[in-house]
Amino acid sequence: MLVMKNINKIFQTADIQTHALRDFCLQVNEGDFVSVTGPSGSGKTTFLNIAGLLETFTNGEFLLDGEEVGQLNDDGRSRMRNQKIGFIFQGFNLIPDLNLYDNVDVPLRYRGFNAKERKRRIEESLERVGLASRMKHLPSQLSGGQQQRVAIARALATSPRFLLADEPTGNLDSEMAQGVMTLLEEINQQGTTIIMVTHDAQLAQRAKRTIQVKDGRVSELEKVTPIMNQAIA
Amino acid sequence: MLETGLILRALARNKIGAMLIALQIALTMAIMVNAIFMIQDRQQQMKRASGLDEANTFYLTNTIFGQDYNIISHLQTDLNMIRNTPGVVDAIQINAVPLSGSGWSMALQHQPGEDQDAVGSAIYMVDEHALNSLGLELIAGTNFSQADVEIRKDGQSTWPAKTIITKAFAENLYPDDWQSAIGKTVYISQNQPLQIIGVIKAMQAPWNGWNGVERSMLVPFHREAKGGYYFIRTEPGQRDALMPIIEKALAESDKERIIRRVTTVEETRKRSYQQQNATNKILMTVVITLTLITGFGIVGLAIFSINRRTKQIGTRRALGATKGQIMRYFMMENFLISCVGILIGSVGAVALNMWLVNSFNLSPISFELVAFGVVALFIVGQLAVLYPARKAALIPPATATRTI
Amino acid sequence: MFNYYLRLAWISILRHWGLSLLMVCAIGLGIGAAMTTITVNYLMSANPIPEKSEQLYYVQLDSWDINNPFNDGLSPPDQMTFTDSTNLMRAQKAFRQNVQAQAFGVIEPENPDMLPLIVNGRANSADFFTMFNVPFIYGSGWSRASDDSKEFVVVLSKETNEKLFGGEDSVGKSIKLEGNMFRVVGVIDNWQPKPRFYDITTGAFNDSEDIFVPFHLIVDEKISRSGNTNCWKPTGDGFQAFLASECIWTQFWVELKTEQDKEDYLQFLNAYVQEQKQFGRFQRPIDNRLSNVMQWLESQEVVADDAQMMMAMSFMFLIVCLLNTVGLLLAKFLGKAPEIGLRQALGASKRTLFSQYIIESACIGILGGILGLVLAYLGLQGIEILYGDSMKDLATLDSKMATLAVLLALFSTILAGLYPTWRACNIQPAQQLKSQ
Repeated sequence: MLVMKNINKIFQTADIQTHALRDFCLQVNEGDFVSVTGPSGSGKTTFLNIAGLLETFTNGEFLLDGEEVGQLNDDGRSRMRNQKIGFIFQGFNLIPDLNLYDNVDVPLRYRGFNAKERKRRIEESLERVGLASRMKHLPSQLSGGQQQRVAIARALATSPRFLLADEPTGNLDSEMAQGVMTLLEEINQQGTTIIMVTHDAQLAQRAKRTIQVKDGRVSELEKVTPIMNQAIA
Repeated sequence: MLETGLILRALARNKIGAMLIALQIALTMAIMVNAIFMIQDRQQQMKRASGLDEANTFYLTNTIFGQDYNIISHLQTDLNMIRNTPGVVDAIQINAVPLSGSGWSMALQHQPGEDQDAVGSAIYMVDEHALNSLGLELIAGTNFSQADVEIRKDGQSTWPAKTIITKAFAENLYPDDWQSAIGKTVYISQNQPLQIIGVIKAMQAPWNGWNGVERSMLVPFHREAKGGYYFIRTEPGQRDALMPIIEKALAESDKERIIRRVTTVEETRKRSYQQQNATNKILMTVVITLTLITGFGIVGLAIFSINRRTKQIGTRRALGATKGQIMRYFMMENFLISCVGILIGSVGAVALNMWLVNSFNLSPISFELVAFGVVALFIVGQLAVLYPARKAALIPPATATRTI
Repeated sequence: MFNYYLRLAWISILRHWGLSLLMVCAIGLGIGAAMTTITVNYLMSANPIPEKSEQLYYVQLDSWDINNPFNDGLSPPDQMTFTDSTNLMRAQKAFRQNVQAQAFGVIEPENPDMLPLIVNGRANSADFFTMFNVPFIYGSGWSRASDDSKEFVVVLSKETNEKLFGGEDSVGKSIKLEGNMFRVVGVIDNWQPKPRFYDITTGAFNDSEDIFVPFHLIVDEKISRSGNTNCWKPTGDGFQAFLASECIWTQFWVELKTEQDKEDYLQFLNAYVQEQKQFGRFQRPIDNRLSNVMQWLESQEVVADDAQMMMAMSFMFLIVCLLNTVGLLLAKFLGKAPEIGLRQALGASKRTLFSQYIIESACIGILGGILGLVLAYLGLQGIEILYGDSMKDLATLDSKMATLAVLLALFSTILAGLYPTWRACNIQPAQQLKSQ
């Protein structure tokens, strides 16, 4: 469970203060699939970075799985990212010098699993995204959609409680995007909580819950009816 | 956490870059180890004692140009005058000075005859004041007496009856027991008998590069020659003050000769080893600059590769790597590259040494020095990568979500 | 287009100034070290008399001990006995011939206020001056007739003439040397052959002598002999016995015009040694040698071991610096992959890209070369200070060496830049544009 209460994030440069998040409040329950939308510059990415423990916040309260995140030091945050959070990035962020197997291995190494356990998890998660047969390939030999599947496999390999996805389909064509979305939905059905940032309203609709970030604040959106949805499209 | 395998596989994708660093390390090591070896070799050469009281001795040349000049009576007058100068311990006439680069040599043999093996030695023509004037230590036998000293004319081919030799020479002549040299008769100039009456601890030959530099002999001669040296030993601390005084006294006492090249033995040592000293300084500079170049090269390449991998590092951080783990990654990467470099370097160091041994008569390198090179280069590599690795560790994890 | 590339190179160098500085320094240091040692070796192994080094021959005869060969039997003695050099001189079988030895003496100036002067001298034959192309300011060498009639003549160096006569034309004047009056017949202009090929027995890089006198003066004990003397057989008492001994202390040079002359002279030498064998001399197998100037210098290894070793080291040093540069250029060029992709998309061909990056490498090379030149200059100064007199005149950069330095830097940097440039040119534009 993720709880944010009155989170503020202020970027301080020499003469300008930027309020990226203002009294940001959000609760995400176990098993939820939340999509976060908003115009660019609204604070989506800042929210994601803070939710994913990639960045610290200025003040407020943030509980992740019952643990007070504000209290953690850098190493503690690293550990928590490694154990509880899986990331999917817009640009896939695969390591180009490593093959698929080794790419999925990266977070497992930091977790400190033994070789046998790692091998099991890598094969299992690549199996799950349908790329087990290509584990010796390099990322550059795959299509964008396939690369993103590897990234998802990497995120899943550590069996995280939360999956944070940053525009996971942003670099993909619609057919591939649909595939990735379907995969995410499957993962969510199997119990992993997913928070997905996207600017694609149509994709956002496929989440169980949609929130909008505007000027650093949250506003919950009602589920739009399919008819209206079509009207918009 | 051991990421060795992962690092190796990542390196394998960038073989050329890694090989370039490894080769640099290898060459640096080969050069460093051999340069240090040569430095040590020279330092050892320079450390060898001349056997003289170097701090308190000096000498000068006495060149006679006057015609009908009574050399022997002037020699006596000169020596008396110098010996009686306050502050002077003793003085002699001598034909050559250790380490000065020019001198005389003769060979001694156990049996007389043309076809006998003979051992070469530097020869110093002195009188019974030699031990005291040069500051030599007699470790066996006796000194010459005044009666032993003969007058030697230029071109004379006969030798006195007695000699004092260095311990190194005695050991060479009598390998089983150098002390047995005392009282033995050896032959000089193929067939003239010469009795060894004393052994001194050490006195070097005039030529520092000669392999027999520790072999010297003293013979009791006063030379009736137009050129020669006076060698003077003073009370401690008096040398520099006495040098001009004695030069002036000698020059003014007699206008038919020239007193020149008033030189301390310390200065002679310095000149004698000037080349070794210079070469050592250059080698030292080479070692230091080379290490710096390699070090900075590693820094430059590491910074560059880290800059290129910023996103990757951010991603690793996002996936749960701690700062320490990121640092260790780069330190480990460098360590692995260093391993290859040092392995090649060790072989290279020995190969280079073998070439030097063949071409320049150097002796083979010691294992300890290669070991030192191994350790030194690992340290250089790790130190060089420290700053870039720290820089990498400070890349924020949020870099992963940035879309550039 | 060239100017455009030059401008791009300049922008790129400034943009990554730290990296560029590192490369320029690395190349500069490498070139500096290499040029310093190359210069020393070049000057040490220079031909001191290029116009006739092929016609001047140093003569060696193996007159040594049958039981114990000279120099472990590797080469015949490096000097000659007085007996042999006198005999060869008398035979006059060569176009020119010269017997010589080192000497020293004291000159007493006429002016009683001036202190007596110890001078290094050379006792030699009349042919010395013509053989070795000795330049004169005043007068000339003495004639063969002066040798034959045992005249007391002297040739002064420019410096000695300066000291004794204030630099004016002293031909015909007299000096008192070792108690005897000598007539000045010539004054030599500045003449310091490096190496001092005509006599390398006491150091190949010594200065030439202060005075030159006829060789017969040594024989008649009018001037003292110095230099190396090597004996293998005991000598009798007195100077005449020494002259007749098997000791070697004279040097013998001949000038032979053609290869045929050389053959003939060698035949003559062999016949001479054969003849001497009848007197019980030359018991070793015949090993007579005629070496021209460069052969002689090479056989006597005048280039110091240290200098050669340093040169080897400095080349390895340069290689390290170049490897460094290859690595840094590679990093730099590959870091430009997006830019290269873009340029290719905008129509740059591989060839134009290649030119662009090679020019950038060359710019760094030239900068490195200039730095290297400065460092080589400083390095040579340092060598002169450290080694003192033994390196005098052997540590100077001439324009030839300076050009070589820049060319070497340019060439080696372009070489170092080839691989990185090739890699940069083979970047796939599509991939670069897609992924970012």
